[in-house]
Amino acid sequence: MVVGDVTTGTDVLVIGGGPGGYVAAIRAGQLGLDVTLVEMESYGGTCLNHGCIPSKALISASGLAHRAGAAERMGVYADPAVDMEAMVSWKDQLVGRLTSGVESLVERAGGTLMTGRAEFAGGDTARIVKSGNGQGSETVEFEHAVVATGSRPIELPGFEFDGERILSSRGALALESVPESLVIVGAGYIGMELATVFSKVGSDVTVIEQLDGVLPGYEADVTELVHDRVESLGVDFYFGQTAREWERTGDGLLLRTDGDGDREGIQFEAERCLVAVGREPVTDTLNLAAVDIETDDRGVLRTDDQTRTSVDRIFAVGDVAGEPMLAHKAFAEGEVAAEVIAGEPSALDHQAVPAAVFTDPEIGTVGMTEAEAAEAGFDPVVGQMPLRASGRALTLDEREGFVRVVADGETRFVLGGQVVGPEASELIAELGLAVEMGATLADVASTVHVHPTLSEAVHEAAKGARDESIHY
Amino acid sequence: MFEYELPDVGEGVAEGEIVVWHAEPGDQVSEDEVLAEVETDKAVVDLPAPVDGVIEELHADPGDMVPVGQVVVTIDTAGGEAATEQSDGTAAGAETNGTAAETGADGVVAATTEDGANVPEGRVFAPPNVRQLARELDVDIGTVEGSGPGGRITRADVRTAAEDSVSGPSVDGTSVNGQETEETSAPKSAVSRREPADTGETTESGVEPADRDRTLAVPATRGVASELDVDIDEVPTDRNRDGEAFVQPGDVRAYAEAQQTAQAADAGAVSETTSETATTGEPATAATETGVGDADATDEGAVRREPYRGVRQTIGEAMAESAYTAPHASHHDMAPAGGLVEARRRLKPRAEDEGVHLTYMPFVMKAVAAVLPEYPAMNAQLDEGAGEILYHSQYNIGVAVATDAGLMVPVVEDVDRKGLLELAAEVNDVVERARNRELAPGELRGSTFTITNFGAIGGEYATPILNYPETGILGMGELRQRPVVEDGEVVAGHTLPLSVSIDHRVVDGAVSAGFCNDLKTYLEDPIHLLL
Repeated sequence: MVVGDVTTGTDVLVIGGGPGGYVAAIRAGQLGLDVTLVEMESYGGTCLNHGCIPSKALISASGLAHRAGAAERMGVYADPAVDMEAMVSWKDQLVGRLTSGVESLVERAGGTLMTGRAEFAGGDTARIVKSGNGQGSETVEFEHAVVATGSRPIELPGFEFDGERILSSRGALALESVPESLVIVGAGYIGMELATVFSKVGSDVTVIEQLDGVLPGYEADVTELVHDRVESLGVDFYFGQTAREWERTGDGLLLRTDGDGDREGIQFEAERCLVAVGREPVTDTLNLAAVDIETDDRGVLRTDDQTRTSVDRIFAVGDVAGEPMLAHKAFAEGEVAAEVIAGEPSALDHQAVPAAVFTDPEIGTVGMTEAEAAEAGFDPVVGQMPLRASGRALTLDEREGFVRVVADGETRFVLGGQVVGPEASELIAELGLAVEMGATLADVASTVHVHPTLSEAVHEAAKGARDESIHY
Repeated sequence: MFEYELPDVGEGVAEGEIVVWHAEPGDQVSEDEVLAEVETDKAVVDLPAPVDGVIEELHADPGDMVPVGQVVVTIDTAGGEAATEQSDGTAAGAETNGTAAETGADGVVAATTEDGANVPEGRVFAPPNVRQLARELDVDIGTVEGSGPGGRITRADVRTAAEDSVSGPSVDGTSVNGQETEETSAPKSAVSRREPADTGETTESGVEPADRDRTLAVPATRGVASELDVDIDEVPTDRNRDGEAFVQPGDVRAYAEAQQTAQAADAGAVSETTSETATTGEPATAATETGVGDADATDEGAVRREPYRGVRQTIGEAMAESAYTAPHASHHDMAPAGGLVEARRRLKPRAEDEGVHLTYMPFVMKAVAAVLPEYPAMNAQLDEGAGEILYHSQYNIGVAVATDAGLMVPVVEDVDRKGLLELAAEVNDVVERARNRELAPGELRGSTFTITNFGAIGGEYATPILNYPETGILGMGELRQRPVVEDGEVVAGHTLPLSVSIDHRVVDGAVSAGFCNDLKTYLEDPIHLLL
């Protein structure tokens, strides 16, 4: 038992062991800084424990089950059974492997790991409050701090997460049995990914969304394909509906909604309800008042292009520093924070942060859409290759989706791209590189691509923008 | 119709000067036929025709500076369908006397070179490594004009921009100096120079000190300022951040340089006042300004202006970088060279039989390569960024060659592993080609130590400037007979004056003295080279 305060010192105190924090810690260690990483729960943060990785595990497992049972056209007849408990324990195993990997990576880089909740105690000190009574606390004096406390799912008033009937995405990814029926509030990427998973393992899924379509923020022809496919899996959609209240029934719940405008409110029963209406930054654990850092109305820590907050020695990376709340954005910011602290001339100057939605089909986007390019003052040219013209897509029994390349008509620089289809999350990488390198359409169109692959569609789309399509 | 853009003729070359065209509009050319000679800051290279066709239009005149990526020639590959282009071409042709940039602006592809301006703000077309370099060099990438395809920014563009931002203020500085001298008459400035301690106005005729109370600068800049003994609050700058003046290392160096130039000029004014005034009746201003190389146009005929560019500019920048980065120290000594003269006398006919003219240079190179392993600090370089000294394991010796266009330093690699004959042939070859300006840029890079033979022109000792970032350079004076003392008698003996300069950050004076002593052993009796 530790009573009272022990004081230690560190060059860099990283608060939060998710993608932003652990990368900052590893990079700082590589740069020879003395770094301490504090995590109050489990290393890897939301991404590894309750987000990207577990959801992708369930997406691929449920996708496999679904495909095996829906491949008669390919001459395959099967009726796969899903053991949700086994699927989840397989997922937990691989998550465990990855999180312990994170710990050893940080330690190998020379970082010190601490468990507890960090709160600022002054301009250059933080108190690490150990969990459990009588564990005491430890004070750490730091030269620099990197706040990487991440985000949490937003709770709707009246729909507080209870881990039983009202679930957050985290709760939904830990379910050990397939709910007979599931209502999902919110048709953003989390709602759509999990609607896909649960419908594929046999749940009767309903999605309600306040707005008029799925995946707000993406172009209509992109979301349409996903909407149609998810609907064809048997998911019901209700748009313009706001969840109002719920009540407990026998082994489930009864949900009531308010309709938008002249739409009637509806009500229906379901075994469980997943609320996926967005995420908010976590700052209330930090005692920010002690360092006089301001947040914006959403609680986001404002940072400059070197990830510095309004206080010089304190940096913020990842979800707590605002949108887009994506692990790979956090990776990039974590590296920059460590490099800036080490005195390197580093900065966040990437041209675009790619994004992917792991629905069926997947979506991958990077950079500008045609409309955004026009708005930015470019004279965009667009090339699009439908996957139904791709040999590889057909051999995968996929015929929907496309690759679109947006470029500046004058300089021919690639400005962005949108991909819908199988492996769109992988295909987008090539366009991301093109955007980042300042590649022109000719660069992409003149690069030889492997045949037969889906990546040829990127090639063809670039050629298409030059009116040089060969295969379409 | 083929719009031929000036390619990157050497690694990382940003622009080139058209020296001469070997083709003119109407000429039939075939692929790889030499169209023009282009001088870059590294060498003169041939510009081959990229395609077969008929020259439609030349977009630059000899003497024009053309950025890489700009259209230099239009070639009609098909013959025909050139009507509209042609009319454009004639229009442009009418003003071929304009600068390359103006001419280019008429061209179809000109949009690409100019499009820095067309790209909407906040959007930079440069690969991440180039953006990283820009940050390292403190260049605002948004202001850099790209020379790559479509106007993409290359590493060379960023380096050029960085150099411009360093040399820019320095040019300003001297012109400010010019004005200053003009306004305050020269004698007055001379007077004020004589009593600096009293007035404290040490910078009377230098660049106007900014004299701020507060200056923003990164620690590295402050380091440069204290190194150059400059008060950072006095350094003029146009940049500011959050309303405060923001000074960069280039500003400090430029200011320090301008101060030195001004002091030198003033000193010149003081010493020359009498004679100048007596002979020409002009105030010493003229002399001062001539010294600075920035005479006013009103001094008609007294001064000829020539652009500072190409090979001249490259030499200048290299010298400035070396002199202001590495604190030089020189060590001079006289090497007895009787054995060297004898060895060469005996070997020369044998070499001639092999068709190789044997000079003293290969002997000296071999001797240097034999001595250097004992003095690794002189075959090294300081990586300031990494805070590390790099010791080279190769002995690649640069040979300074005076050419009509200035100084060039071709490199002979692995001198320690080559025989005398092989070395002699190679040195003769690179020197010959350097004089003819036929060297490829790659042949001017990679040296780890340099030898300069100023004695070929005459003289005893000099102070060689390091071929930065090398840490050592050997200068050879004239090898001839001089009076030497032998057994208490003054006799005639062959001697070779040696002048060694070192980067004193890395090499200590004792080391350079030891280097010279060992070198003398080999030169006095080259038979030691056999060991």
